[in-house]
Amino acid sequence: MRIVFSIAGLITFIFLLAAVPLSINIIDDNLTLSFKTMAELIKNYATGLLNGDSFTYQEGKNRTYNLIHDIASYLFTSLRYLLLAGFLSVIIGLLISAWYSKSKKEWMKDTIGFLGTIPDFILVIFLQLGVVSIYQSTGFRLARVASRSADENAYLLPLITLTLIPAIYLIRTLSERTYDVLSEDYILTAKAKGLKKRVIYINHVIRNVLPFLKADLHKVLAIMMSNLFIVEYLFNIRGITAMLFGGTMYQYNLIVNTLFALVFLYLIVYWSIRLLILLLERVFAHD
Amino acid sequence: MTNWRLWLGIISTSLILFIAVFGPLLAPYEKDYVEPTGYYYNGPDDFGVHSSPYPPSKEHLLGTDEWGYDILTLLLYGAKYTVFVGIGVAFFRIAIGGSLGIWFGLSGKEKKKTGTIFGLLGSIPAFLIIYFLLIRITINSPLSILELILVQSLLMVVVGFPGVYSAIYSKTIELNKELYITATKALGSSKLRILGKHIFPHLKGTLLAMFVKEIILVLTLIGQLGIFNLFLGGSILRLGGPPVYISISRDWAGLIGQWRSFIYDYQWILYFPLLAFVLLLFSFYMLSRGIELRQKATMQKYPHI
Repeated sequence: MRIVFSIAGLITFIFLLAAVPLSINIIDDNLTLSFKTMAELIKNYATGLLNGDSFTYQEGKNRTYNLIHDIASYLFTSLRYLLLAGFLSVIIGLLISAWYSKSKKEWMKDTIGFLGTIPDFILVIFLQLGVVSIYQSTGFRLARVASRSADENAYLLPLITLTLIPAIYLIRTLSERTYDVLSEDYILTAKAKGLKKRVIYINHVIRNVLPFLKADLHKVLAIMMSNLFIVEYLFNIRGITAMLFGGTMYQYNLIVNTLFALVFLYLIVYWSIRLLILLLERVFAHD
Repeated sequence: MTNWRLWLGIISTSLILFIAVFGPLLAPYEKDYVEPTGYYYNGPDDFGVHSSPYPPSKEHLLGTDEWGYDILTLLLYGAKYTVFVGIGVAFFRIAIGGSLGIWFGLSGKEKKKTGTIFGLLGSIPAFLIIYFLLIRITINSPLSILELILVQSLLMVVVGFPGVYSAIYSKTIELNKELYITATKALGSSKLRILGKHIFPHLKGTLLAMFVKEIILVLTLIGQLGIFNLFLGGSILRLGGPPVYISISRDWAGLIGQWRSFIYDYQWILYFPLLAFVLLLFSFYMLSRGIELRQKATMQKYPHI
């Protein structure tokens, strides 16, 4: 029952959010929100669902295209980046947090932590500036600074950005959990039994950290989604978010459909990473 | 061992606050001073045209932008918007989210399992929500800078405080399970007394650390909006030719957003605002690390292996 309500809530939220830019007016310094316009937009979308108008979008003046036909390639581009970055960051996060939690090197924690506070857009611009300055001084092309076309996507720098930020978040949260787990009594018992450190980590620590990873996954994905917008925008990647900002005019049905596609994308990535965690559980937490 | 991170954080943060307050007085030029473009002639072999953007020099320590505005001056004038909006929004997030979290945490029960669907909202990032709400208001806005900043800050508080609320809520629930709370309840103390004597003293440090971290998050949010041309205090959109977005208030994130295409040439135009923004983040980060380490020293657990 709760699920139904939540889905309904999400759908209404998307419909209303997309309608806001068209229904806000400023007349003589007074902000007004026209609910009539909103209702009309939603009604048009609903009638458009029946005759298929809601699944078209305009480009330029009079060229209309079928959205369902075109959106797939955009979706796959984003999916590719997100899945690769998601898997990489979960694995890097798990590996490094085990070491990080025990590390006494505070300066390393300072550096990793500071890298974690640097916002995505600054990281992107610094990476771009770095690659350009390497090229200008040595003539060596390290990576693409931006995508020139859909066939020549920049890969290295976007993946670095998309992986690094969630990985650092995971390292920080999981290392706290690992630290907590390490101070539990069953670790002391295992140690007293004379088990090796490696065995304790594999059999007791990792399996007790995995549930926290599962619980944190939504947060990690939220970070990744918000990075995706910045990354695709600054690297000029023709992904799903390009649909939101690319157009010359604001098309209500295009925005609504793209937002739904975003939710869909989120679900795919979420369940893929859940599968990865399931796999890890089969390895580390089997009984 | 002295907590040098805390001291570094306090010193650099106060320096930034000083710049934010007195920046316009320190600025070498007027706010709208434009270095003129002209030509020079010193002899038959030594002549030419000088035009903006001027690279960093004695007259312009950080150089000028493509129209000849002095970058240092713009940064000094814009600092107050970035810094004070960051601090203000973070403060209200903590105040609202924190007090609601403590209150409901005290009367609430065990945390319910957060459903999958709640997480679905994560697919629509906070800045996108603000983007849609603000896109029609911010660009070429009829509102004044101050009104616009108020609207923007309000929205940033609204999208941010639920996160603070849920963190404080679960912390309070955890604390509520402690034996001394049960004991004091058995002795008949009221909710207000538990709150004032037991919960709040415990959460004080956490709230302070969260406040500084929230400032960093707010600054990130402002920056992300800036990348999408929604500047704090409003954007001017100039058409006729390629569209140009200009920040009215000259806040730092806005300057980065407005100059973000200078990665190939005249890089100083982009480089110095970026550096200023990173320094801003760095000083708040050091502050939060310092607070965190002080916290950790007081409530430490020790690992067995």
